[in-house]
Amino acid sequence: MDQFILNNQYNIGHICTTRQCEAGLGDKVAMRWLSSHLEQHDYTFNELDRDSSRFANVLSGLGIGSGDVFFTFLPKMPEQFCAFLGALKLQVIVGTLFSNFGEEAILDRVGDAGAKVLITKKSFLKKISRIRERLPALRVIILVDADEHFSDDILSYGLSMSEASDHFTTALTPPETPSVLHYTSGSTGKPKGVLHAHRSILMQHFTTESVLGLTPDDLFWCTADQGWVTGTSYGIIGPWSMGVTQVHFGGGYNAEEWFRILQEQRVTVWYSAPTALRMLMREDVELYRRFDLTSLRHISSVGEPLNPEVIHWARRTIGKEIYDTWFQTETGAIMIANRPGIEIRPGSMGTAVSGIEPAIIADDGTIILDETHGNLCVKVGWPSMFTTYLNSPTVYASRMKAGYYYTGDTAYRDADGYYWFRGRSDDVINTAGHLISPFEIESSLIEVAEVAEAGVIGVPCELLYEKVIAFVSLHRQASFSRELELKIRLHVTNKLSSVATPHEIICVDSVPKNKSGKIMRRVLKASYLGTDAGDISTLED
Amino acid sequence: MDILAELTPIFREVFDDDAIVVTRQTTANDVDAWDSLSHMNMVMAVEVKFNIRFALGELPSLRNVGDLVDLTAKKLAKK
Repeated sequence: MDQFILNNQYNIGHICTTRQCEAGLGDKVAMRWLSSHLEQHDYTFNELDRDSSRFANVLSGLGIGSGDVFFTFLPKMPEQFCAFLGALKLQVIVGTLFSNFGEEAILDRVGDAGAKVLITKKSFLKKISRIRERLPALRVIILVDADEHFSDDILSYGLSMSEASDHFTTALTPPETPSVLHYTSGSTGKPKGVLHAHRSILMQHFTTESVLGLTPDDLFWCTADQGWVTGTSYGIIGPWSMGVTQVHFGGGYNAEEWFRILQEQRVTVWYSAPTALRMLMREDVELYRRFDLTSLRHISSVGEPLNPEVIHWARRTIGKEIYDTWFQTETGAIMIANRPGIEIRPGSMGTAVSGIEPAIIADDGTIILDETHGNLCVKVGWPSMFTTYLNSPTVYASRMKAGYYYTGDTAYRDADGYYWFRGRSDDVINTAGHLISPFEIESSLIEVAEVAEAGVIGVPCELLYEKVIAFVSLHRQASFSRELELKIRLHVTNKLSSVATPHEIICVDSVPKNKSGKIMRRVLKASYLGTDAGDISTLED
Repeated sequence: MDILAELTPIFREVFDDDAIVVTRQTTANDVDAWDSLSHMNMVMAVEVKFNIRFALGELPSLRNVGDLVDLTAKKLAKK
């Protein structure tokens, strides 16, 4: 794997752009950009290299340098890729935010990281303006769609780029240099910043080739948003480290448009999420018959467990295999996977990727034999392993025990080495591939004046894997109505994100708590599902 | 009642963007914060504003704001 690195240069931005040009791929299309209206614009590796260098110079001109933190807060668009790679060239740490985040979600992440620069769009400026005073480290905001600078600290991307030099020499970047920052939710407390290092490119490159099965001649489409680790590891880094052409689409889910893209662009490998694939499954079968997908070799999937039904559906209707893969923000790259060359076991996570040593471990630290479920762990030391939770070293330490990283997932391994996902060992909700903290949603809910208490759970959902259900009790003078339900939904959406917004809000007299005041989500879940709540002896009177 | 004109303030509140001006041709691709989840907020906001209810089966056929205006008008006419 180390042979991939030349001259000890681990810099992700350099490898994905300059090195590809040096290898003779300068005129090759790096990104085929399709706008939400399907307008096409190709960017060559030369252009990607030039624009990312310009952006490195823009940041450098603002006094930003190695170790500083920069955030993108954008929907999928070309500027995001240039900014991401340019910042990495400068050895700036890059955090990426989902464009559906609300102001509290932004504040928690940008504030925790002490980010100095953020790039966004004019339409998102209102959210940031409301929290700007609580972000003292944030010196500059760059707007991709402003023709002129708004002020000394709100700058136009276009104008800044036009004044920046094309030339930038990336400094030699050692493997441990901090690189990408993604925040992830736990069942308690604020989201944690998962910090990666430039060495992650080793594993991202290796798995793009060996798990996703890409070759340099492929045309690859990863539908993941860049706010998600998949969107950076496999929507940017892995493919471009191999000189592979990528399609990126600025629109949302639309079955007909997606199939048109697969057909007309001749996509050869497609990486998407189970929720999207399940949505496709619900479409009229006539839709698929209208499209020729002979260029598509296979599909890979990531985000939440892939139901066997989806695999059977793809075989039956479009004649393609779907390979489910498993990884986390913390692992940085795929660790366990179904993949070309090994038998697919529908419903399984697949087998360990070469060089990765997963283990199933009991709560007492004992490594468990096959066929028994326990904590899914990974032996530390893999190349894309995160370096820390930013500002939370004790949480990081709590996840590392006896040389293993505890993923928070539970699973078992069968006798043939296939892993089978069982669930989470905590209350974190996985909805449409997003890990959501019930604590964060509960905190947001009780900010609504009428809400006295809140308890949030995730329950099984055929489409999203899990959906968010909120139980609220109201202050005595308040009453539940459609207007209040809307108020609550908009509050959560605009403070946290649309994915955190409850699918159902259920008004109850009181939220069950134990005698120390902790919300008993287990009781709420049993009540919702109509199952046995188990031991309720600690329930508050 | 000019339903289209009434929708602009609703969209601005729901999608938290004061610059939104909706037309009959506006789709989710034209509004940054409009995704499949915030779509449900928008639907509920329209229901509350006009005191109507949409059936689940009516929603997937909405291609743009114009379709939403027409469906809302149909519901109001039946009241």
